[in-house]
Amino acid sequence: MTEMIGAFFSGLYQIFTWSTLSLMFLGIIIGFAVGILPGLGGPTTLAIMLPFIVKMKAVEAFAFLLGMAAVTNTTGDITSILFGVPGEPTTAATIIDGHPMAKKGEAGRALGAALLSSLVGAIFGAFFLAAAIPVVRPLVLTFGSPEFFMLALLGITFVASLSGSDFLKGLISGGIGLFLATVGLCPMTSVQRFTFGQIFLWDGIGLVPITIGFFAIPEIVDLSVKGSSIAGDKIGKLGGVMQGVKDTFHHWWLVIRCSAIGTVTAIIPGMGGATTQWLAYAHAVQSSTDKERFGKGAVEGVLGPGASNNSTLGGSLVTTIAFGVPASVTMAILMGAFLIQGLVPGPDMLIPEPKGHLALTFSFVWINVVSNIITVGICFLVLNHLVKITQIRGSLLIPFIILLVYLGAFAEKNTFQDLILVLIFGILGWVMLRFKWPRPPLILGLVLGPLAENRLFLSTGNYGLAWIFRPGVLILIALTAIGIILPILRVMRQYREKKNRPTTQEPLAHDVPKTLRWKASTLFTLFLIAMIIWALWQSRRFDFRSGLFPWAIGFPVLVLFLVQLLRDLTLKEPEKSDEDKKELSDDETKRRTRAIFFWIFGYFTAIWLFGFSVGVPLSTFLHLKIGAREKWSLSLILTACAWGLIYGIFDRILHVPFPEGQLFLWL
Amino acid sequence: MNNKRICTIAVVIGLVLISAITANAASYFEGKTIRIIVGYSAGGGYDTYARVISRHMGRHIPGNPSIIVENMTGAGSLISANHLYRVAKPDGLTIGHFNGGLFFSQVMDQPGIEFEARKFEYIGAATTEDVAYAFTKASGITSMEKWMASKTPVKMGGTAPGAYAPDNVIRIAKAALGLPIQLVTGYKGTADIRLAAEGGELAGSSWGWDSMRATWRKSLESGDVVAVLQGVPKPLRDLANVPLAVNYAKTDEARKLIEAGIHSPSVFARPFVLPPGTPNDLLQVLRKALQETLTDKEFLAETEKAKLDLNPVTGDELGQAVAEIFKLDSALRAQMKEILFK
Repeated sequence: MTEMIGAFFSGLYQIFTWSTLSLMFLGIIIGFAVGILPGLGGPTTLAIMLPFIVKMKAVEAFAFLLGMAAVTNTTGDITSILFGVPGEPTTAATIIDGHPMAKKGEAGRALGAALLSSLVGAIFGAFFLAAAIPVVRPLVLTFGSPEFFMLALLGITFVASLSGSDFLKGLISGGIGLFLATVGLCPMTSVQRFTFGQIFLWDGIGLVPITIGFFAIPEIVDLSVKGSSIAGDKIGKLGGVMQGVKDTFHHWWLVIRCSAIGTVTAIIPGMGGATTQWLAYAHAVQSSTDKERFGKGAVEGVLGPGASNNSTLGGSLVTTIAFGVPASVTMAILMGAFLIQGLVPGPDMLIPEPKGHLALTFSFVWINVVSNIITVGICFLVLNHLVKITQIRGSLLIPFIILLVYLGAFAEKNTFQDLILVLIFGILGWVMLRFKWPRPPLILGLVLGPLAENRLFLSTGNYGLAWIFRPGVLILIALTAIGIILPILRVMRQYREKKNRPTTQEPLAHDVPKTLRWKASTLFTLFLIAMIIWALWQSRRFDFRSGLFPWAIGFPVLVLFLVQLLRDLTLKEPEKSDEDKKELSDDETKRRTRAIFFWIFGYFTAIWLFGFSVGVPLSTFLHLKIGAREKWSLSLILTACAWGLIYGIFDRILHVPFPEGQLFLWL
Repeated sequence: MNNKRICTIAVVIGLVLISAITANAASYFEGKTIRIIVGYSAGGGYDTYARVISRHMGRHIPGNPSIIVENMTGAGSLISANHLYRVAKPDGLTIGHFNGGLFFSQVMDQPGIEFEARKFEYIGAATTEDVAYAFTKASGITSMEKWMASKTPVKMGGTAPGAYAPDNVIRIAKAALGLPIQLVTGYKGTADIRLAAEGGELAGSSWGWDSMRATWRKSLESGDVVAVLQGVPKPLRDLANVPLAVNYAKTDEARKLIEAGIHSPSVFARPFVLPPGTPNDLLQVLRKALQETLTDKEFLAETEKAKLDLNPVTGDELGQAVAEIFKLDSALRAQMKEILFK
């Protein structure tokens, strides 16, 4: 025990040398930029930096790399809040309430809350890592595939909390996510499922393009239709950065719980920040007494994911260090760093020196803590300037946000087809938002689906059906059952309450004339029904193992859809709420919507025809000069900036392999 | 006398030609950038090798071109392999580094292959993927005798049907040697398999010995994990006493299955290739440069530090190993398909 405590402080002592601290600082600065730019993922940057660590000492190397990895989630939150574009795939959940806050003029408050909760999360994760070290191996080894499967199932029940006010639509949305997760090669049989013969779909639909399209495109449309800055004229009316800090302390207990969700879940291989953020968000919604506020700028919706996506690192490190099983791509690269340093992740890392490397392991804890403190400190210094972005004219921002969207979607896998996915899911996201379908359940289904399917077949392959009777599984079944029954009871109670006092909640529906919108939403439901029937028809040739999951999800979703269709056809549309009332006339809204979609598609077409380095400046310029009628000088300067970013940084320095324009290939 | 003169002339002409080619190559590569397109994401095994090589190989190419690595991920590197065959220009400036198991997939008529493996130009490989079959001590399978005597099928973890290791090498061992095996496939990678084996869910598995030795070092040293069989024609240096799979083959057919399904794919597992139709002089320059790089002092110091194992394969050897698998007769080919994909 004394040895452990000794190692704990030795770990702290080790990082306070000049070389280590300065390397950590360098890592933080790189991670800062990487986190803010959606096109640059943490993993890619880590990989590029790997060669530099060959000559470093172990503690220096990890100060550099972990410092870099630790801050990307924090700064990713900034992009999510300000632009509604996920800065990192792990910061998408921050958009749901963070960006509406920015639109209400509360960007400062949202950022303050995100940053401080990130710091709390990071520190929590770090000390969890420290506390878990003595027990981690036996603990994790009691978990086999059956328990992993049940945990994935338990996670899926969080869909209920993510559904917002419409439980049925939430379930369907989650079901669509699970169904989309089956696209690609079946992991057990390598049979192609719903790939349309496209090889790029073999690995499934990428989370990054979906998340970006899904959340960013509707925001771009909204910003453009509004025709003002992100915050409109509301800036400064409500609290600033310090208000966000206060919020963190006000909701202290929630922040701690969400940190715990992030850390504990991340121990499971295959569950990284992309999953934990949604679980934390769902928990924030679930534990709130006023669920109606969520999605419209509730600060708890920022605090939850903000804390969890940072605390995740601590949990992921546990599995990486104790078993050499990387929980995420970032961790896989860190494992490479271990090997370069001549360290083998595993039991040795948990034994005090000189036999093992416990002090080094503890230094990871401290690096995580210290680098987050530094990052948050820097952020607070520049925060007030960052907030001003929300005051910039939307027309000047839009070309850059579109650029970030396409660049972010492309650069994750360097696949051009991902841009098409962005467009498809951008439209889907926009339509879902219009017709009030909750989007987060779809993402949760998408990230948990593969884990559930894989582990179900691995459980059956290893244990037959006997896995159901493992004690861990029985406990998790009980928890899952509670997770399913409670929301149903809640919905039933709400229904009964509504029945008892019908006039307050349901507006006088029969007074509202049937509008075009009502028909459109039904058409959308019909369209999705047609898609699901088509997909099930396609799956008729699957064998049992490839087909089980698509069928087990597809048929219930179809039934739910039919119920929804019935609702669409019988229920009258409720009166428009306050925030739906726009200052613009319907015609003007439609015209602007058409215009922005034209530009979004035009941008894509330009990239496709001319490649990134010509297409991006071209469409940026056209949008600024013709679309937004900006001055020549301003248009040219901003176009030069866009070109510099694409050509200078991404093409020349980072060597992102942009595809050549189709037009040049034809010529 | 005459003979001597002819010889001299021949040598002179030869020298002139060689110098012409190298001079050409020097001016050709000078100021240019060679791209190594890696079929997997940054930070993985393929990427790591490519990046180390990219830092040293330029020095061994006349004209000192700079070399950069690009990642084109997807479909187990099939996207990059197809790209190299169909899109990349055969100008010696684009090198592909993807999973050589795809050549085998072509022989097995797997979907999505848009290349003809024998038409690629082979530069060589830095290492092979020699597999070992290992089990935990807790599973009781600590020797071939115990494995063969096992009454119940031994659970081994796989990642996906068609993957060279673990899935193919396990299925072939099961079919060709009649070993009691139950393959449980669908794990996300060998790290997950290791965890499942340590937790007692699996008995063991089989994949590249280099990677197994690096990541499972502690357990192998303590005897908690034991390598009981190896899938190579000659014993590996540090597995001198572990029996060879091929020695357990009772029939000629079984031996052929092991050679074509386990031995050859190991040689071309991690190839560096050029698009078909790349001029021979450029190919030769790059072949020579790769082999020189693999013995370069600075390069070796870096791979030593990064614990990257090397087992150089020349371009010729690589091409031969690929040609070898296409020699499987149709009956054996059908049998192999049955084994690997049924």
